[in-house]
Amino acid sequence: MIEAALEGLQSVLTLHSLAMMSLGVLIGSLVGFLPGIGGPTTLAIMLPFVMVMQDPVAVIALLVGMDAVGNTASAFPSILISVPGSAGSQATILDGYPMAKRGEAARALSASFMASLVGGIIGPLILLASLPVLRPLVLSFGSPEFFVLTLWGLAMVGVLSGNAPVKGLLAGIIGVFIATVGLDMKSGVERFSFGEPYLWEGISLIIVALGIFGVPECIDLARRKTSIAERHELGSGFKQGIIDVMQNMWLTVRSSAIGIWVGFLPGLGSSVADWFAYANAIQTEKHKENFGKGDVRGVIAPEASNNSKEAGSYIPTLAFGIPGGTSTALILVAFTAVGINPGPDMLTTQLNLTFAIIWTLAIANIMAVFLCMAFTKPIAKCCFLPFYTIVPIILVFVFIGAFAANLNRYDLLLLMVFSTLGFMMRRHGWPRAPLLLGVVLGTKMELYLWLSYTRYGADWLQRPGVILLFILLLASVLYPIWQARRVGAFIEADAP
Amino acid sequence: MTWIKIERALFTLFVFVLLAGAVQVAREWAIRASIIILLLGGLGLALALAQFISDIKNIESKKPDEVLTMEAPAAKSDSRWGNLEIWGWILGFYAAIHVIGFLAAVPLFVFSYTKAYGGSSILSLILGVMSWGFVYALFDAILHVPWPKPLIASLIS
Repeated sequence: MIEAALEGLQSVLTLHSLAMMSLGVLIGSLVGFLPGIGGPTTLAIMLPFVMVMQDPVAVIALLVGMDAVGNTASAFPSILISVPGSAGSQATILDGYPMAKRGEAARALSASFMASLVGGIIGPLILLASLPVLRPLVLSFGSPEFFVLTLWGLAMVGVLSGNAPVKGLLAGIIGVFIATVGLDMKSGVERFSFGEPYLWEGISLIIVALGIFGVPECIDLARRKTSIAERHELGSGFKQGIIDVMQNMWLTVRSSAIGIWVGFLPGLGSSVADWFAYANAIQTEKHKENFGKGDVRGVIAPEASNNSKEAGSYIPTLAFGIPGGTSTALILVAFTAVGINPGPDMLTTQLNLTFAIIWTLAIANIMAVFLCMAFTKPIAKCCFLPFYTIVPIILVFVFIGAFAANLNRYDLLLLMVFSTLGFMMRRHGWPRAPLLLGVVLGTKMELYLWLSYTRYGADWLQRPGVILLFILLLASVLYPIWQARRVGAFIEADAP
Repeated sequence: MTWIKIERALFTLFVFVLLAGAVQVAREWAIRASIIILLLGGLGLALALAQFISDIKNIESKKPDEVLTMEAPAAKSDSRWGNLEIWGWILGFYAAIHVIGFLAAVPLFVFSYTKAYGGSSILSLILGVMSWGFVYALFDAILHVPWPKPLIASLIS
């Protein structure tokens, strides 16, 4: 294992990999501090260009580097203009913005960078520590267990990624159906292609991702018409922010651990990691009366958790091939395209690549923090860019990204179809992440089910691992539904 | 308020019809090709029906129309035309790509959008030219992307 770790480090420290990582960190940071552009949208735009690259380590350096740092830079708009730069920095606003209002923006920013750094280092360390535990577990699984596991991952994302478990499950099923479109090579059946050769090769995940995330986010940004009413100076206290993190190290470590746990559970994602850590800080810290009024601990807790969460989400992605969230789902697609096979291989024959990912996560976080600290003033100015300079540029990239998927005229038509679907889902509170995950997992799920059926008949249902996983699946699906109904009934009874 | 609830129920009905159609079509296929669709389709139909019934009930209920998801809620617009405005721009860009081609549509779209929402003429022009320059240099000159032939070129030829 030490050999693989060193090999992974060596591959990451080449000039080419470091250049790709720097590019990833730059793009990830840019996405973070420009409010309104999500990480998944940018990843989807990047996919068609990354998938033609030959070097898997370069792909890891670029995409993992980009994904790892988005939450670090997203503290800028959260603290300076009270607009979350990413889904994972919403809780930062509660205390970061009041700090900026009273002239302590620099202190809040430096505290958030330091907390992000600690979270970004603890995350990969835990990922590293989990490898010896995961290895025997993953290697004992067969196709029936993997089928139930993919089903469980999809169900978890469906149920947990919104307050609408039924809609989430339905979105996941729609995603699996989309994955089946095209010519089935084994049976020769044309599935849902309506005799159209364009659809024989299936629907590109890039177009689905750009349609359901990219265009609706642009619509939202355009409708919001971000206008900055108040500008706050950075003020002083940059060093104090760093000292604050040192003085609250236990809180930082605890929040990082929460982030890893949230990232590990497929479906929860960074949009809740920050809130969980913030709630934990309020519950456990002394002198809680200042929370919400500009307490630096209210910045430290969410920022540590949203960075460590990224490493946590790689645990199920690498070990079982089940992405922890939207970003890892897209990265998984790029990995598969360049010959990286998440699953048992990542813990055996491709262990060096797993280590390359761990090293990238850690190094990219360090790079991002230095970048943010060194260029705080110019980056802060970018937060005030008006929406009309961002929306058309993003839309151009979305259209070009979709066209680059197959270089076909129909790509754009399909983009419009999925944009409409994404827009309607967003408008009516349907979680979109399960749909994307359904598209990613659909093919695997079908293969595992078919292998289980042909190898074991109906007997695969009696395997102890399968029974245990089915019990866990049912519990994870039924409990949130029961809880949602209970809360609904409580609200109804409480209504005047 | 009620219209959005009706729209929500109609969207669920659309999902139900979509799933039902998919299952119906898949029944004709070999088991290898239809196994996952039949397995998940049955479950999906039951869930869609349950959701549709819940949406219908919700139309008549007086509970506040709140949809909570872990994504940020969709933005409320101050503009007169709401979503139609931005959809008009998107569809306009889509149409422009088909009619005049990617390389001409990109600067035109960027310039018009920036200018229409308050950008100065100089800023709009700079952004338009920069976006064209980037797309031309990277995708046309370096990557040699085969752009779709614009309608206008077909008409002229």
